[in-house]
Amino acid sequence: MKPTKTMTSRERLLTTLNHRQPDRVCVDFGGTYVTGIHTSIVHQLKQRLIGPAAAPTRVHEPYQMLGEVDAELRAALGADVTGVWSRKNIFGYEANGWKPFTLFDGTPCLVPGNFNVTPAPDGGWLMYPQGDTSVPSSGHMPKGAYFFDAIIRQEPLDEDHLNPEDNLEEFGLLTAEDIAYYEQQVARLDQDVKDTGIVLMPPGTAFGDIALVPGPFLKHPKGIRDISEWYMATAAQPHYVHAVFEKQCEYALKNLETLIAMFGDRVQVLALTGTDFGTQNSLFISIPTYRDLFKPYHQKLNDLVHRKSSWKTFIHSCGAIAALIPDFIEAGFDILNPVQCSAAGMDPVQLKRNFGKDITFWGGCVNTQHTMYQTPEAVYREVRERIDIFNRDGGYVCNSIHNVQGNSPIENVLAMFRAIRDSGQA
Amino acid sequence: MPMEHPLIQAIVAGRRKDVPALVQQCLDAGESAAAIVENRLVPAMSVVGEKFKCNEFFVPEMLIAARAMNEALKILEPRLVAAGVKPKYTAVIGTVQGDLHDIGKNLVAMMWKGANFVVIDLGVNVPAEQFVAAARRHRSNLIGLSALLSTTMPAMRETVKTIRDAGVAVKILVGGAPITAEFAREIGADGFAPDASSAADAALALLQGAA
Repeated sequence: MKPTKTMTSRERLLTTLNHRQPDRVCVDFGGTYVTGIHTSIVHQLKQRLIGPAAAPTRVHEPYQMLGEVDAELRAALGADVTGVWSRKNIFGYEANGWKPFTLFDGTPCLVPGNFNVTPAPDGGWLMYPQGDTSVPSSGHMPKGAYFFDAIIRQEPLDEDHLNPEDNLEEFGLLTAEDIAYYEQQVARLDQDVKDTGIVLMPPGTAFGDIALVPGPFLKHPKGIRDISEWYMATAAQPHYVHAVFEKQCEYALKNLETLIAMFGDRVQVLALTGTDFGTQNSLFISIPTYRDLFKPYHQKLNDLVHRKSSWKTFIHSCGAIAALIPDFIEAGFDILNPVQCSAAGMDPVQLKRNFGKDITFWGGCVNTQHTMYQTPEAVYREVRERIDIFNRDGGYVCNSIHNVQGNSPIENVLAMFRAIRDSGQA
Repeated sequence: MPMEHPLIQAIVAGRRKDVPALVQQCLDAGESAAAIVENRLVPAMSVVGEKFKCNEFFVPEMLIAARAMNEALKILEPRLVAAGVKPKYTAVIGTVQGDLHDIGKNLVAMMWKGANFVVIDLGVNVPAEQFVAAARRHRSNLIGLSALLSTTMPAMRETVKTIRDAGVAVKILVGGAPITAEFAREIGADGFAPDASSAADAALALLQGAA
C-alpha cells in the first residue's frame, strides 16, 4: 500500500534503500558523476522551468561537462539527492573561482578558475592537469563536442621492470586541506540540505577505473596509463595490478574511516566505484578475473562501511553485467547503477525479479543512447514502464541510464521529467 | 588446419615475445610470408574471435593476442611488400569526427589484418572527407566507421552520407557502443558488427556478397 504521508527527500531515499515503498519514486539527477545532466541541458532546464532569473549554470564536473543541479533546479525537477564531491575534480583542481565560459553549442555557463583551455589543432579545446598550461595537456574536447576525453600520455613501458608505485601517485591519505574541505561540507549539509538525500563520492575508492587510469589530473603520469595497456595488464600482469590495488585499498580503508567519523548519518549513500565491467554484449573481463582481481578489494571496503556506518554502497558499471550482479551483491554492494537495460541480458523485469530484493537499482529509467533521441511520447512511455517495473516495493532510485547527454532534445528531457512526476500521482 | 602449430598457439595465448622467433622458424622452413599470414595468422585470429564469441576470451585477452599478431606482421609486412603480394581486400578504418575512443576500432583493425586485409587506419576524430580521400587513394573495398558516443552518432550519419554523395564504390561497415543494426540501416550503411570478433566475418560477408 502506498504511504499517505508526504516524505522528505531523505526519508524517501532511506525508505527506498531499505526496500520499502516510498510515497513516490525517489529521484536523482545531478547527485553524482554518473547520474548527472550535461551543462547544456541543465541550462535549458533552468530557462524552461525557472526562467531567465535562474542562477547561471556551473560546470562542476568538467570532464563530462556536467552542470550543477542546484537546490532551485532540484526542487523544480523533484530530485531528492545531492552529492558531496571530492575536493578536486578529474583534472585535479577545485570547484571555485568561477568564471564565465561559452560551450561550442553557445551555452553560457560558469567554469572553475583553473578550467584553462587552449585551442586544439582540430578547433577543439585542450585541458590541462591542475589548470597548469605549462605542462602537456591531459584532456581534449573535439570541436563541436560535448565533453573531454583523456589524452594518453604513456611513457615507454618496460614490462619486466614495472614499479607499482608509479600507478599509485594519485592515491594517499586525505590531506589537511582535504579534511578542511570535508569539514566545510559537513557544515553545508547541516545548514542547507538537512532533508535531502546525500551521496558521498570519496576519492581513491574505484579500482582500475579507465577514466582515471590515464591520470588526467597528473602533470607527468608514470606507470601504465594507456587504457589498452591497462586492460592487457589485468590479464597478463595481475601481480602488478594486485600490488597497485592492495596499496590503494589500504589508503581507501583509512580514508573511509576518517570520512565515516566526520559525516556519520548525514550521508546515506557512498559511491564507491565507477569502473565499467560490461560492454554492450558481454563482460569486459571474465567472472574469474573479477573474483580474483576486484572482488576482494570491493569486499574489504564494503565490509568496513557496513561495520562502521549506516551507509549504503553504490557501484556503477555500464554494460551487460547481469552475470556479475550476484558477485556484486556478495561483495557487499547495496546499489547498482546505471542499470543499462539496453545491454544484453539486462531486461528490467528479469533484473527486478532476480535481484530486486538484494540490491537497489539506481538508473535505468530511459535509454540515453536511443530513446532519448526519439520522440517525447517514446521517452514518456519508456520512463513510465521502467518506474512501474523497478519501483515496486521500493529499491529503486529513478535516474536515466547514465548522464543526460548534451545533445538530447529538450522536449524529450522534459517528457522524462513529466513521466517521473506523473508516476508519483498515479 | 594444424591449429597446434606453435606460432598459432603463441598468438592465441598472446605470447608476444615468442612470436618473432617462431615466424623466423617458419621462414627458415621455407614458408613464404604470404603463406604464413594465410596459414598461421588468419587461423590464429579466427580462434581468438571464436573464443571471444563464446566468452572464453574477453577484451584483455583479445588485445594481448592482437598485440602478438602485430609482432608477426612487423616481420612479414615488409616481405609481402617486397614480394609484391597484395591481399584481396583493402579497408579504411577510423572513428568518426568528434569521437576519440579507439580501443574498439583498433581491435577491429587487428581482426581485419588477421583476416588478411590491408588496413589503412586513419585514427580518431576523422573528418568525413578524409574517409573519402583515403578510400580513393588506396582503392579500398571497405570503410569501417566507429563511434563510441551517442553524441557522435550524428557524425556517423553525416560521414556515411558524405561517402555516398562522393560516389565512392565501397561497402561501409559501422560499429561502436551505441550503434545498432537498425541505426546502421537507417543511416544507409551496408553492414553492422556488434563487436570486434564479428567484424571480420561481417566484412567478408559484405565483400564476398559484392564480388
